[in-house]
Amino acid sequence: MGLVTIIWSMIPSACLTLAAIDFLTWWKNRKAHAYLLFSLLATSTAAFAFCELWMMRAQTPLEFATVLKWGHAFVWVLVITLVGFVRVYLKAGRPWLAWTVCCLRTLALFLNFLTGQNLNYREVTGLRHISFLGDSVKIPEAVPNPWMIVGQLSLVFLVIFAADASITAWRRGDRHRALTVGASTVFFTLVSAGQSLLVFWGIARMPIVATLSFMGMIAAMGYELSGGAIRAVQLDRQLLESEAGLREIEERMTVAVEAANFGIWVRDLARDEIWATDQWRALFGFPAKERLEFDDILRRIHPDDRDGFRLALKKAAESNGRYEAEYRIVLPDGEECWIDSHGRFEFDGSGKPVILRGVSLNITARKEAERETQILRQEIAHVGRVSMMGQLASALAHEINQPLGAILRNAEAAELFMQDPSPELDEVRAILADIRKDDQRAGSVIDRMRAMLKRHDLAKQTVDVGNLVGGVSALVRTDASVRHVKFESIVPANLPPVFGDPVHLQQVLLNLIVNAMDAIDGGNPEHKVVSVTVAFHRPQTIEIAVSDSGPGIPANALAHIFDPFFTTKPNGMGMGLAICRTIVEAHKGMLWAENRSEGGASFRLTLPIAKEGATK
Amino acid sequence: MTETSPVVHVVDDDVSFLTAISRLLRAHGYTVKTYSSARAFLTQRDPEAPGCVLADLQMPEMDGLHLQSALADNPNPIPILFLTGHGDIPSSVQAMRGGAEDFLQKRAPKEKVLDAVTRALARDSREREARERQRELRARFAMLTERELEVLAHVVQGQPNKQIGWNLGIHERTVKLHRTAITTKLKVQSVAELTRLTQEAGIFPPTDHTFPKGQ
Repeated sequence: MGLVTIIWSMIPSACLTLAAIDFLTWWKNRKAHAYLLFSLLATSTAAFAFCELWMMRAQTPLEFATVLKWGHAFVWVLVITLVGFVRVYLKAGRPWLAWTVCCLRTLALFLNFLTGQNLNYREVTGLRHISFLGDSVKIPEAVPNPWMIVGQLSLVFLVIFAADASITAWRRGDRHRALTVGASTVFFTLVSAGQSLLVFWGIARMPIVATLSFMGMIAAMGYELSGGAIRAVQLDRQLLESEAGLREIEERMTVAVEAANFGIWVRDLARDEIWATDQWRALFGFPAKERLEFDDILRRIHPDDRDGFRLALKKAAESNGRYEAEYRIVLPDGEECWIDSHGRFEFDGSGKPVILRGVSLNITARKEAERETQILRQEIAHVGRVSMMGQLASALAHEINQPLGAILRNAEAAELFMQDPSPELDEVRAILADIRKDDQRAGSVIDRMRAMLKRHDLAKQTVDVGNLVGGVSALVRTDASVRHVKFESIVPANLPPVFGDPVHLQQVLLNLIVNAMDAIDGGNPEHKVVSVTVAFHRPQTIEIAVSDSGPGIPANALAHIFDPFFTTKPNGMGMGLAICRTIVEAHKGMLWAENRSEGGASFRLTLPIAKEGATK
Repeated sequence: MTETSPVVHVVDDDVSFLTAISRLLRAHGYTVKTYSSARAFLTQRDPEAPGCVLADLQMPEMDGLHLQSALADNPNPIPILFLTGHGDIPSSVQAMRGGAEDFLQKRAPKEKVLDAVTRALARDSREREARERQRELRARFAMLTERELEVLAHVVQGQPNKQIGWNLGIHERTVKLHRTAITTKLKVQSVAELTRLTQEAGIFPPTDHTFPKGQ
């Protein structure tokens, strides 16, 4: 068997193999048009190679001419797919050049069928034997067809188009593709066009061997495309590695999660499936393998907290996706646990929540400690109030005796009036009205006292600062007058309310005012002033200042006056200001002291105003 | 204004108690005037009119004790008694030391309050009378000449005329003439009466020194 037979059998088989592989690749991924185009390109090359071999083995001139004529159909496919491939694969090339190539080639195909015996020869007159690659092959003796120039022209434009596209790709930085696809297209097209030109115009005496150079081009392109397969292998290896890494991370996370006693859960909203770690299941009292339903989980939550949790989820789904909630759960055996739950929704492209991931933590111990601290704090606050009311006791007794005395005197007067045979009933009526009024007055003092002496849980509500200051003023006014202290309060109108516990806040004010009066006790009796000034610092802070005209706070004491057990009073416990600060901080406010430039000390506290929603 | 009916002046910043106590006192037949502050009372009072003051101890600005000391400085003092919602020991001691008629709780029994008012009014009229008499005596003593006063000083010391004459370097008969003038002007009959009047009028302030009784 001659070398020609071997080569021209190998070319189609190689091309067809590549075509088959790339066709399958395209079949798996229909969007990868480059693979389909390459497959067509390789197939048409194989077909034309077959034609070439047939021509070399032709028996009659007519057979030769006919094979060449039909071979041009494959050349047409080859050129068109080549243009398409360059355009798709390099993502470059001017459209008008591409259209020019396609149109010229199509015109050449028409001329192939309409003029002469084919595009290249007007007439093949005879066949000659020559020796090629050590084999005996046929070459034609023929009259060239001048229309052949159209086909040649299409190849010239193909070269220009491919060169232009390569340059564009090269400039863009896509150098590898520009070299393998662009440059090989240009080079091999030039070679095959040049060879066939010499053959068809009868200058070189050899058979048409265009597919040899096309084969070179296809090899370059096939190598380029097979890069994808190589990359896939690499990705696969990386995937394996990263899977191992992921497993490691998961292991580490499990260790951390177990140590922290977190329970993790994921809810797939689309598939309505819930996955949870073993810790989570243990926390919520679900068996390890049982399928989880969201409603079952909700039923575990304490009825009082259920709606709050639902609301938190709803809010999160409608806003940034994050939620945070603290709620109680009731386990099947009746045990109650506090859970701290954080989580995040994941949204799809249209903003619809698809996955909810959450972390749950058992915070029962913390809650218990918090509750104990709170009870202790209330206990201390209560002791503080009782001891303060003790200090005010004599002033308050006076405050109550005043109306009681009036009641007694009025009653005695009325008795006398009634002894009269014709008593003045109008006078008696007026007396009775006064008695009622004074009784209410005494009652209100007792109510205020009782509120301060009662053991009392921190119960926040909206509080009017004016009323707050007014109530405290009523308690201290008598004490101030006994001590010859001028007490004044300045409260602007239309203050927004604050959110807090009125009894605790009154305790703070009372403590600060009594302290202020203590501070000026020894001072100049002509100028003893304690003032309470309220100011609204927009947008959301109310400041209350309790100032005195005393000697001020010594510099070395200023840093310690809020420390527990720090006192300058001979009988002081040193808890008053410490309690005050604790109370103010529990209201998200601040309490501090400063000396005024005009003399005396000023204690200032800030409270945030109640949020819109809390005002009603 | 009638000088005959004494007035009970009630001073208290607590208007409600003020009304109540004045009702009670009026029902018991007293004439009552009310003031809601010590200053109001001091500016409105008629110093000549008889009466007493019933004041609250704790009042803003001028309290009961300040009112008491202001009244004490007055040439025509008026008895004061205190009513307090809740009195403390130091202020009650100070009040009594300052000559208060009484120091009572506002809810003290009616009888105690009325008693105290009665006592205060009686004391006022007594003191008023004493002041009147002293004023009249002083007018009588004012008629004596320098020399007559010198003689009187010796007479009330119990010296006989001869010794007085000797001491003053005048004749015994002259002393006698002076003594007659003195008894006539002062309208007294005996030496004993003369001595009592002299003492009552407080003509010789350092009497302790001049009396020989201590020897």
